Amino acid sequence: MAKAKWMTSLIAGLVIATGAVQAQTAYKIGYLPSTVGQALTQAWRSGAEKALKEQPNVTFQALDAQMKAETQVTMMDDFINQGYSAIILQPIDAAALTASVKKAEGKGIHVVTLNTDTMLPHAAVVTMDDTGAGYLVGEMIGKSINGKGNVAIIQSPPGAQAGVEREKGFRAAMTKLYPNIKIVGAQNAAWNKDKAIEVMNSFLQVNKELDAVFAVNDNMAEGAMIAAEAAGRLSQIKIWGFNGQKSTLALIEQGKITGTAYTNAYNQGATAAKYAMDLLKGDKKKGAKTEEIIVPPFAATKDTVAQIKAEDRW
Amino acid sequence: MSVSAIRRLILIGLLISIGAALSVANPSFLTLDNLMTLLQEASLTGIVAIGFTLILITAGIDMSIGAVIAITSMICVNFISYTTLPAYIFIPIALTAGCAVGWVNGFFITHFKLPEFIVTLATRGILTGLALIAAVKDDQGFVRNVFIEDELFLAFGGTVGPVYIVIFVFFALALLTQFFLKRTRAGSSIYATGANPTAARLTGINTDRTLIGVYMFSGFCASLASIFLCARMMTAMPEFGIGSEMDVIASVVIGGTPFTGGVGDIWGTVIGTLFLALIKNGILKLGLSPYIQPIVIGGIIVVTVVADVWYKGFAEKRAAKTARQKQMLAQEGV
Repeated sequence: MAKAKWMTSLIAGLVIATGAVQAQTAYKIGYLPSTVGQALTQAWRSGAEKALKEQPNVTFQALDAQMKAETQVTMMDDFINQGYSAIILQPIDAAALTASVKKAEGKGIHVVTLNTDTMLPHAAVVTMDDTGAGYLVGEMIGKSINGKGNVAIIQSPPGAQAGVEREKGFRAAMTKLYPNIKIVGAQNAAWNKDKAIEVMNSFLQVNKELDAVFAVNDNMAEGAMIAAEAAGRLSQIKIWGFNGQKSTLALIEQGKITGTAYTNAYNQGATAAKYAMDLLKGDKKKGAKTEEIIVPPFAATKDTVAQIKAEDRW
Repeated sequence: MSVSAIRRLILIGLLISIGAALSVANPSFLTLDNLMTLLQEASLTGIVAIGFTLILITAGIDMSIGAVIAITSMICVNFISYTTLPAYIFIPIALTAGCAVGWVNGFFITHFKLPEFIVTLATRGILTGLALIAAVKDDQGFVRNVFIEDELFLAFGGTVGPVYIVIFVFFALALLTQFFLKRTRAGSSIYATGANPTAARLTGINTDRTLIGVYMFSGFCASLASIFLCARMMTAMPEFGIGSEMDVIASVVIGGTPFTGGVGDIWGTVIGTLFLALIKNGILKLGLSPYIQPIVIGGIIVVTVVADVWYKGFAEKRAAKTARQKQMLAQEGV
């Protein structure tokens, strides 16, 4: 029967696909970012993979939470059920992932979080200090427009913690250092370049005088740049991004984007992976509180971008 | 055996064989913990899918289910954050809100004769916005996702023995709804309304009331799932459920309820939900790259549906052939 044949080949396919992974290994490390489709999360992954390559007997598995907290919690459960030794997690939301992280830690699985901390203690968080870096961008923008003028913010989705922290830091710098700068608009472009073009277009139409834009990630800064360039106003507007991905650094060199808060994401991923390995091998002991490892941000502008070496660009 | 029963057996057979293949491939698939996670996952989608099955039987569609999940979670979290009311007071209120959304959907569809898709898409948009407005904010006006510590509320995410409460609720709701559909007059009215609304009206069925009731039930199911989701996640987010419509629709359609109305039942939906949850859970065990995973999931769904449709066509052809032969024999006899 044709159907029976189909079924056999389907099952055979599944079995073959998994045969390769069957070799038993000492440590299984899971990587669970908010999404796998971004330069930042890909750079974390390569950083972590590179660090783990030097270690014998380690398997590394990445899963894609597709930007949905529900999916991420399901995948955490899956890592737990499969008996992983450690999980490197970028929580989509602090509150939503807290229960999962607690469950994992309760089963003796070390959880190292990236960028977003959860609400109960776990092994470690390796963060680029979003609030501090947002503040830094605020300082740089304020200085470059001499402390007065109109500024707009391109936001992440409401509730996306990393973006909110960046914006908070930025706003803190504005109220504290530059009371004469007016924030004329703040709109959500969902981390997304296309959406940022739309948002920036509406900013440009409403505000005849716009001096600077802060986009809470680089993709959106690139979108803002495309819109400003099309409107012929790029030279009058300072655009700042966040993260420091390769394409944005190139645009900074060309003078199209003013700057970005750069983090060495390779290094960050590697740090998280190494920390997990140290815990597994007993070189480090887990404390009562979450160990906080801060990767300092670096303000990359046309003058300073040359300091970032080619191998540190992601 | 009827064609539909055999189709169901094929699906169950596929379900079991994929499950068997997965347990061979990765022993951690067939552990109690994993099976419970799988069933919990299936139940959260499945509760919504039960309501959605009734909608499809009336040949309608409800795009607002995801947004109902979001708004229900926001209602609960507001009660938890700003009042000291116990869970047994505010949960019924939240469920009523879900029904109310369904009533609004049903009202606009029946009284203004608007297409179901447009009405429910509009309510989806409105509710998505309302969920953001209703979300708990911090002192600077940013959405703050509250970590829920209300013990009574969190009990909904708990277990009895190793089995999550939501799994019991799912199967109980499935049983009740199946009984309602097949053994009550109101249930028959739903089938009649979906198969031929004009004929149903002429036989004295109040199709408007039937439709409004079905949309209210769908809203209720989405609300119910939302409560279990919040309790599981120990938080509520304004984007909860949004985008989950596709999983729900897929579960119902895989279960054999078509878009054309008048046909379908809850057992099919239960199997369809389990099937989708099994694939989504199993794929994580295969150690595949995250880029490949959605392709494999899509592939398996296509293979399943093709097998189903192929068998249906085959059975119909065979039935037609037997009928023709019978007729010919009868004519020869004359």
